[in-house]
Amino acid sequence: MRDPFSILVAGVGGQGNLVTGRIIAEAAVMQGLRPVVGDTFGASRRGGSVLTHIRIGKQDWGPLIPKGEVDVLLGFEPVEALRAATKYAGYRTVAVVNMTPVPLISVASRDLTYPKIDEIKNALESSCKQVHLIDTEPVLNRSGSTKVLNSYMIGVLSSLESGFLDPKNLRKAISTILDSEKDMAVFDEGTQALL
Amino acid sequence: MVDSKRESIMSGNEAIARGALEAGIGFCASYPGTPSTEITTKLFEAVNEFDIHVEWSTNEKVALESAAAASWVGIPALCPMKSLGLNVASDFLLNLNLSGTGKGGLVIVVCDDPKGHSSSNEQDSRFYAKAAQIPLLEPSSFQEAKDVTQYAFKLSQKYEVPVLLRSTTRLSHSRGLVRTEKITRRKKKTREMPERLFNVPAPHLRHKDLIEKMSKVEEEFNNSPFNVGINTEDMNLLIISSGISSLYTHEAIHELGFEGIGRMNLVTTNPLPRKPVSNLLEIAKGILLIEENDPFLEDAIRSFSVEMKETPQFYGKLTGHIPSYGEMNTDIVITALKELTGQLLRDPRTIQHQSIDHVVKRPLTFCAGCTHRNFYWAVRTVKTRLGGKLVVAGDIGCYSLGVFYDQAMDTMQAMGSGIGVGSGLGQLHRFGFDSKVISLAGDSTFFHACLPGLINAKHKRADLTFVILDNATTAMTGFQVHPGSSHQSENLQRVDIEKLVNAIEPDFFAKGDATDIPSLIDLLHSTVQKEGLKILLLDSICWLEEVKRKPGFVGATPVKIDKSLCKGEKCRICYADFGCTAFSWDSETGLPIISDQVCVQCGACIAVCPHKAIVESE
Repeated sequence: MRDPFSILVAGVGGQGNLVTGRIIAEAAVMQGLRPVVGDTFGASRRGGSVLTHIRIGKQDWGPLIPKGEVDVLLGFEPVEALRAATKYAGYRTVAVVNMTPVPLISVASRDLTYPKIDEIKNALESSCKQVHLIDTEPVLNRSGSTKVLNSYMIGVLSSLESGFLDPKNLRKAISTILDSEKDMAVFDEGTQALL
Repeated sequence: MVDSKRESIMSGNEAIARGALEAGIGFCASYPGTPSTEITTKLFEAVNEFDIHVEWSTNEKVALESAAAASWVGIPALCPMKSLGLNVASDFLLNLNLSGTGKGGLVIVVCDDPKGHSSSNEQDSRFYAKAAQIPLLEPSSFQEAKDVTQYAFKLSQKYEVPVLLRSTTRLSHSRGLVRTEKITRRKKKTREMPERLFNVPAPHLRHKDLIEKMSKVEEEFNNSPFNVGINTEDMNLLIISSGISSLYTHEAIHELGFEGIGRMNLVTTNPLPRKPVSNLLEIAKGILLIEENDPFLEDAIRSFSVEMKETPQFYGKLTGHIPSYGEMNTDIVITALKELTGQLLRDPRTIQHQSIDHVVKRPLTFCAGCTHRNFYWAVRTVKTRLGGKLVVAGDIGCYSLGVFYDQAMDTMQAMGSGIGVGSGLGQLHRFGFDSKVISLAGDSTFFHACLPGLINAKHKRADLTFVILDNATTAMTGFQVHPGSSHQSENLQRVDIEKLVNAIEPDFFAKGDATDIPSLIDLLHSTVQKEGLKILLLDSICWLEEVKRKPGFVGATPVKIDKSLCKGEKCRICYADFGCTAFSWDSETGLPIISDQVCVQCGACIAVCPHKAIVESE
């Protein structure tokens, strides 16, 4: 494992960024590591971009990932993943991105349109080492809630080759923090998504 | 808060709260403000177990005054606030420093917000420590956030001065592991009030006393174990950092693998511990300063270095090696170090990004169903009717987002500024100023800072409409209780905004319903055209709080689009002008979509569609 290992979670307010940071941090502690989680949540309630920087290592690292130093980019939303990638992704970044967009609302600009998914994918590929676009809709529809998106994505994270967090620990952290059967179930589904 | 685990994950704010509890705090008074709010929120959780008093005061000055009272009678008191809060409290602080804080101990925590993530300005509050000549401490890690808070109380109790503890967003709002100790329950006991809790008739002599205290504090700081030097034996360059910047500094040196760089992290930053600093200045050829916001340490260290035989070369904000605005991060330190060590090679790590075009902005806006949007919709309509001759002077709260809503709010500075600015504008008509004036405030802001401005407006016969957007909660910072809140706990007494403003005897007063857009437009239009001081109290709703209280709560009016009536791309008013976040646009069909997951079923948008295409659904 690289020390620090850096995970960047990118989404919009309400997608469960902050809880994701807590879950990953707890799982890291279970493995005897020291996590530092930096949240930007000033806008979290109001539909703005939310970034969670997770640093894991044997000592405390800075709460902001340096440019180019992201190991895993966990994108909860395509444009937000791209926004994060253009700022922080680098030669070893593996991006796991939910391809369901959260619509943009803008009163100031009438011409604001959401970019095409293919354009986002190409742009992500130009800035990351590897990009996994995940179609989360079937799972979320089956579970009947978009609120479990983060648990599903944590499941996907746990299956990455570069990942060192034991899926058992992540699962235990979800169970401790969220205490929800639905979240555990979609986490399990997430671990199979890339197979 | 009371978990028995020895080491647990805490935010900087939670660690500060924990430190206060371990120091035996008995009293906490505060006004919410990002990024400081969670300190007090955390202490509220400990109220019963440790029998402490915790309150959301009406503003930061009242909070500090209350906390000083507790300290005077021997109760350790904490007063957390955000940067701008200290501006409000500073009037009292610059008297309290001379009067002293008694035996209890008083720690003021100020959380600065570099880059203004959640603030209307970017300010460095450390200068208040200099202005008030009081001790300043800057913890640089999560563990230190707790430990330094405990030390701050000891320091305040020993010298009977208020101690300022400064955090910044990235410490307050980040999380890391913190080792905790036991909290012992404080004995409930008060002391006699100290004598001479005033500075007259000779404030200069109290000032002299304070200067003497501070020179003792400096001696103590000279030997403080918190100020740690690393690799300072054999160095060419010394980095002096404070606060969270120390983590960035550590990481930058690690990333680059450069040798010959020493670093010193200063935690006790006012008065400057001159002894350990000057010892290192004599060894190092160059000094790089890394700190959040302004060159506070840089100024202080530069100014005393003139007494040295040989002055080292300084680098930092004053030399342009470090940006003088915005937020620190590891990349800034890396860039500065590369420049200073002459290694200006292109960093192979970074990839050339070509994807900027697709990164569309996601501007902040009101939540789905927020009645503030309804109000601003009414403002925009009335402004059009008045040919643009309408100025809206606002201030701080969720409704500040009005500045992003077609600039429906024209001015936005401090808490309570809307009524103060309006009080001025409302007297300028005789100079030819020909716009109608609306002053805006939320309910919590009303109690915080609006009364003097409102009374001035009445007294001076200012011609304006004061609108209070009353959603009965402090919504922006997470629903803290305030005197007008609809839900009060048993030990609190509700204060009625309607009765309060009517006591001022405005020329016109009306209540309005912010959920009903047509009536809101009529009320606002007819009111602004009246003469004198008009007050509108708008019954507003924060849906987030409603949902928090009753999970799954929605309004009574589910809506849908009647596609046979919708004019689609030719209109787009619901989506692009009204802009409720429940709306999105389907570019294939050219029609709006209402998301059932996001919509709160308030029905406000029905009135917004000129084609009656938004209809109530079953």
